[in-house]
Amino acid sequence: MNTFRNEPLLELRRGTVRDEALAALSALDAKLPLDVPMLIGEDVVHGQVFASVDPSAPATVVANAHAATAQHVADAITAAERGQRTWSQRPASERAAALSRAAGILRSRRFELAALAVREAGKPWAEADGDVAEAIDFLEYYAQGALALDGGRPLIQMPGERNAMRYVARGITGVIAPWNFPLAIAAGMVSAALATGNAVILKPAEQAPACAKAVVDALHAGGVPLEALSFLPGGDEPGKALVADPRIHTIVFTGSCAAGLNILQTANTFVPGQRHIKKVIAEMGGKNAVIVDSDADLDDVVPGLLKSAFAFGGQKCSAASRALIHKAVADELAERLAGAISTLRVGPAADFATDVPPVIDIAAQQRIQGYIDSAKPLAQGDSRDDGFYVAPTLFQGLPTDHKVIQEEIFGPVLSLETVESVEHACELVDQSAFALTGGLFSRSPRTIEYVTERTPVGNLYVNREITGAMVGRQPFGGGRLSGTGPKAGGPDYLLQFVEARAVSENTVRHGLVV
Amino acid sequence: MAATTQERPLDLERPIKEIGTDLAARMPRPRLVSTARVEQRMTELLMKDPALRAALFRFVDVRPACATPADLIRHLHEFLADAESKTAQRATGITGRPLARRPLAAVAGAGVKRMAQQFIVGEDAKDALPEITKLWRGGVETTVDLLGEATVSETEADVYMRRCEETLRALAGAATKPGQVNLSVKVSALTPLLRPTAPERGIEGARPRLEHLLRVAKEVGAHLHVDMESFDTREAITALTLDLLSQPEFADGPSAGIVLQAYLVDSPEHLDELLAWAERTPRTHPFVIRLVKGAYWDHEVVQAAQNGWAPPVFTDRRECDRNFEALSRRLIDATPTVKVAIASHNLRSISHAAAYADARGVGNDDLEFQILRGLGDDTQAAIAATGRQVRAYCPVGDLVAGMAYLVRRLLENTANDSFLAAHASGTDTAELLEAP
Repeated sequence: MNTFRNEPLLELRRGTVRDEALAALSALDAKLPLDVPMLIGEDVVHGQVFASVDPSAPATVVANAHAATAQHVADAITAAERGQRTWSQRPASERAAALSRAAGILRSRRFELAALAVREAGKPWAEADGDVAEAIDFLEYYAQGALALDGGRPLIQMPGERNAMRYVARGITGVIAPWNFPLAIAAGMVSAALATGNAVILKPAEQAPACAKAVVDALHAGGVPLEALSFLPGGDEPGKALVADPRIHTIVFTGSCAAGLNILQTANTFVPGQRHIKKVIAEMGGKNAVIVDSDADLDDVVPGLLKSAFAFGGQKCSAASRALIHKAVADELAERLAGAISTLRVGPAADFATDVPPVIDIAAQQRIQGYIDSAKPLAQGDSRDDGFYVAPTLFQGLPTDHKVIQEEIFGPVLSLETVESVEHACELVDQSAFALTGGLFSRSPRTIEYVTERTPVGNLYVNREITGAMVGRQPFGGGRLSGTGPKAGGPDYLLQFVEARAVSENTVRHGLVV
Repeated sequence: MAATTQERPLDLERPIKEIGTDLAARMPRPRLVSTARVEQRMTELLMKDPALRAALFRFVDVRPACATPADLIRHLHEFLADAESKTAQRATGITGRPLARRPLAAVAGAGVKRMAQQFIVGEDAKDALPEITKLWRGGVETTVDLLGEATVSETEADVYMRRCEETLRALAGAATKPGQVNLSVKVSALTPLLRPTAPERGIEGARPRLEHLLRVAKEVGAHLHVDMESFDTREAITALTLDLLSQPEFADGPSAGIVLQAYLVDSPEHLDELLAWAERTPRTHPFVIRLVKGAYWDHEVVQAAQNGWAPPVFTDRRECDRNFEALSRRLIDATPTVKVAIASHNLRSISHAAAYADARGVGNDDLEFQILRGLGDDTQAAIAATGRQVRAYCPVGDLVAGMAYLVRRLLENTANDSFLAAHASGTDTAELLEAP
């Protein structure tokens, strides 16, 4: 694993790099709308067409995708049964090489794919580029991880017996991907399953099928057999059918808590003919709080909170939505944040000057606006009406049971709460049903230790923004209702995709050890 | 640039050694440095023990955020405990370790404040005037730098601009001769809109405030110098400064300048840009270029490493020093179109620029040396004593605002490759003057 290095980010602070990015965007725009058919085994399949649009300019259709039905899901799983046999029998090194080649293909399309994420998911350039880089990271990291796992684990050996434990693929894996990291999370979930020898059926987010298709194309071109990786764009129908089918062994999901709980319920309902227990790997969002102690450096806190709460419009599982601020600095910080929020430029994702892009679709826009309208803001940034825009909004002093404090909003909304102490803040965090990410600004080593031990969150970030987990550096995932716990991009993740086989051979023949 | 290495005149090394030896002789010897014993011992300890050094910096950094003495002691205790546990992990014992508590405890509270005051001339312009006029009377010019918190809102940017204006007027009221008032300003404090991927936003945001300050400076006959900051903001700072100074209303004043950072790998190309602009933009007061090594080296290296970029700075100290000398020569050659300020505490860099200027017949009208107040006081005195023009960079601000500045200067001062550290530890002058 020690040869892994994160893919370098584009140095967008240099004008020449920005020019190259804009050129890639123009080239992409000339090709829109893209056609995104289903890929079922060897077949390219067409169906009822639905569009993904540019959230910054909803009249622009980015892709026409072909919606899968339950029958398409059944066909894909039938193909995957063949794919499972052949793919799982390939040597781990061959599978890893295919993933690594796919990473190389993504690398060669670096600007083009970032441009696609800008258009289809409304991701600002730096975020879109991070998405491509993270997709590459996942492919390389899991390729190397699967190689390391292939040797199995050492066991105690006795005279006359030979003991071995190795890992084998669990079986056909259904992946249901989100739109907010349309390249990276799709690539991560799919490649973890593929690296460990599982055939995969990917159901991408309805809002970003073209991004997911680019990942699938790269994997096929890299050497993953068509039967081992099918691609089914669409809405609820293919997702539900995929989860319910008795031939599916593993379901990997990133998305909302409600959808995740539904998947868990369906997956745990035994279907006649089913011969195994399904496993669900779910990452289901959060309600992430940043604690600001009295000894924090507010010069760091203000930009840290702005980035955590408002970058990409707060549409990251890891984004900050609560700030729990020590009473000694609460007034000063509130004033500085209120002044700072009006410096955020709300605008199209493709504009390098944009701080806060639109949210993903009209449903999200209306849902978030509902939260904003439910209380009086302390301060609010600009908005505009030529896309799915929402004004970045700051609340202060809402009652603890207010829905803005309790529910996941997944938009550019941050609420400030004043606390008596760090202990008090930890109690508030502990009352939450979510436990994904958290932050702490403090310059006291003992306070940092205290919060580290006390917090239930899966990822705690100290004296920095709480978003931007890097593969291999910040393995990502939370507990409680935030998910089933495995850390994506960490050393344990692949274990979720395998079963262990232990073989013990008697090596004594005719009383002799042979 | 190919030109950086081929042009060194063969006869420069001797005058460099002569000038440097003369300057060194005029500086107090390390053993006689008139700092308090506690501070002396502390500096020694810090250079020997990185864990202690980290603990002290963390303590100095948090000092203004501590509301009570108990809070202060708690932080100090925590930092010390951490430093000791790390030190204890080392295979060999550090003899300085048992001594650590005393000097560190001694700087608590008032100690940090006293240290800060060594670098900061006053809380505001009025408070700083006695110190500044004292320097003026001693033949040392000054440039004032207003320290402050990071600017995160338009209101904070307005506050900084007003402080700058008040400072310009207060200094002008006290000035005894033309050209004495000199203020260094930070574009990042004049706008909350600096964005590394969108320089135009910072330019638009800072433009009205910098324009206003240029008008005030022109009115009171002051020099306005635009400081350089991290690489992320260089494009915006450069474009804004050159664009404003190209406006007809500023052609006949005020005197103004910018900074060139020699640690940047592409600084020769940046100098091309600055010189080309100066050539085509005639000004009553020549454009001043202050050559510095650069103060954000750690930031640049860390940021580049975390993002997988090639660092924009030289990572080899000698390469950086050679570049500093090459840029010095190009700048001196560009006089009198530009006026040159060599801002360095490095004895070799100073001596090199002086020797080259002498060889080219460039004098005090076109060349000055700049040092940081509190850090280069001995160097300043020595340069002034040799009749060369010297200017002290004088930070003004309260204790809270001064901490980031103080930490950065302390880090520089005790860094392994620091000239001052080498000088304080008694490195031989001839060695300090060797060509990089």
